[in-house]
Amino acid sequence: MRLWLPPALLAVVLCGLSAAMPVLEPLFRWIQPDKQQVIYDRGSFLFLLQNHLLLVVISAAVGTFAAVAGGILATRPAGRDFLPLVSQVASIGQTFPPVAVLALAVPVLGFGEAPILFALILYGLLPILRNTLAGLEGINPAVREAATGMGMSPLQVLVRVELPLAGRIILAGIRTSVTINIATAAIGSTIGARTLGDPVIAGLVNGNTAYVLQGAILIGLLALTTDSLFEALERTWDRRFSPQGAMA
Amino acid sequence: MSVTGPVASRIPPNRVIPALALSALVLVWLLDLGTIQPNRIVAGTGHGLLSSLGWIGAGLVTAVLAASIVLSMVPLARRYLLLLGLTGLSLAALPLLLEVFASRHLPEDSPYARSSMGAGFWCLLFLLSLMLIEILGRLKTRRSLQLMLLVFVCGSWLTLLRSDGLESLSLVREFNGQGGQFRQALWTHLALAFGAVSISAVLAFVLALKMIRNTAWRRPVLGAVSFLQTIPSLAVFGLLIAPLSALSSAFPVLQSLGIRGIGWAPALLALIAYSLLPMVRNTFVALTEVPESLADAGRGMGMTEGQVFFQVKLPLALPVIIEGVRITTIQAIGLTAVAALIGAGGFGSFIFQGLGQAAMDLVLLGALPTIALALLADALLTMLAASLKPTSARS
Repeated sequence: MRLWLPPALLAVVLCGLSAAMPVLEPLFRWIQPDKQQVIYDRGSFLFLLQNHLLLVVISAAVGTFAAVAGGILATRPAGRDFLPLVSQVASIGQTFPPVAVLALAVPVLGFGEAPILFALILYGLLPILRNTLAGLEGINPAVREAATGMGMSPLQVLVRVELPLAGRIILAGIRTSVTINIATAAIGSTIGARTLGDPVIAGLVNGNTAYVLQGAILIGLLALTTDSLFEALERTWDRRFSPQGAMA
Repeated sequence: MSVTGPVASRIPPNRVIPALALSALVLVWLLDLGTIQPNRIVAGTGHGLLSSLGWIGAGLVTAVLAASIVLSMVPLARRYLLLLGLTGLSLAALPLLLEVFASRHLPEDSPYARSSMGAGFWCLLFLLSLMLIEILGRLKTRRSLQLMLLVFVCGSWLTLLRSDGLESLSLVREFNGQGGQFRQALWTHLALAFGAVSISAVLAFVLALKMIRNTAWRRPVLGAVSFLQTIPSLAVFGLLIAPLSALSSAFPVLQSLGIRGIGWAPALLALIAYSLLPMVRNTFVALTEVPESLADAGRGMGMTEGQVFFQVKLPLALPVIIEGVRITTIQAIGLTAVAALIGAGGFGSFIFQGLGQAAMDLVLLGALPTIALALLADALLTMLAASLKPTSARS
């Protein structure tokens, strides 16, 4: 239970601060005395937080599904021909800077939520794909043979042996992907997505440091909350299954 | 190269290249190869493959793709070399398609008209690159050959893009319109990224040495640098503005040095903070993983501790340290683009200016060089790490 305390506390602080930012007006007025408006008001912080989270969750769900499916296909006998190319693409693709991928999505899909979702899915997929391949390829062949020898069908071997063993590494890939995507979604407000990046960008454009701070603090808190959530998930996973000796 | 029974059975047909070439064939016929815009802002009209290149050009593209499908199926011993030549040449000659397109469709009388690459062209470029990666993987070529190929293709692109025939290409127009600013952006980008990487490399080296000597430093240092890495870049840039502008208004000396809330100072600080995690982790792991038996062997030969460190440990740890430098450099090149939001300059300023003006060609002029820089840094540092790897010292 103590494991879940930090993410829960951080989540409470994040939501509380998003809801009660206007209460802190005196503080921001002290930071930015020369501006009339010191609390960002072109959209409530709770709405921006919710939209930001929604973008990240959708892209993580679609990306995880696509990457795990792709990783499984590329490691089956039927798809093995594609394995070298898929793993090369997964590693070369991560060389592309996220901002550049985001920028390239705009000419194709226009402004708004569509290009950012596309870029987040595409970019978030790569670390998960790479870890799925590493997890599935890292399983000791003897384990697979033992499972087959016990009379399991290929599907059973996959679901009952391979995926549980590779799960921890796949989870680490999802963590990396979500961390990157929270940051990229924040930059997404430059292409018209409503996220917590909005106050930062608006503040930079108008020279209003108070706006910038409000956005930056909430983005940082969101990232910390998510990261500690994954930390707790990974610890729980480690406690439940400890695949000692099964990995090559 | 005679095709005999046993040879044929030993060479299985490749299924990846036909799949890629077939998708390229379908997409290049379905999507627009290029568009013509009357000026910078007005939306353009698209042209398909046949309309863009005429029967001869369209036939040539189709023939090349069909030939690569056939080549990958036949059980020839040297098919991958032939495919490498075919794909490499096609990639290098790809801008010629745009030249033909521009010469056929660009109106003579309007000086502001511009041609740009359509979705079909991008798909063709992407799938041909995938085919090249697949072929290089199957041939198990050496890194130096891969780099030569990269230089050949990039060189051919740069030469063709500078030729008169492609002056109307929107990307070239945008480049010419920016004039000296492009070079300025390149230098700013390189200076920020490499400045941050070198400073953080020195810091990381000192921290790693501290962590090795003193185990009490390990957890707090690793915790701190991974905490920094978790905070999104936009937030770090934003959080640095207030303290730095307070500092610079308190100390006018800083102001005269150009250190303000926005600009290069917060950008460099944030980039260094980000670079620390991969640097510290790799340097620490690399130095601690050198087997103690090798250090002992050195001591047995009469080396001093300093000699053991510089002549035994450091050379063995170097490939892993360089790997850290590679990860850090790629990351820094990407983050420098984001730093344009706080006025640090670099290619990111084209990206965000272009997004602000809805000028997509300007966005491309910022995004494509950023990607190219990242890929180039990746290729060079991977090669460096591979060449430093001791061949027989590690087992």
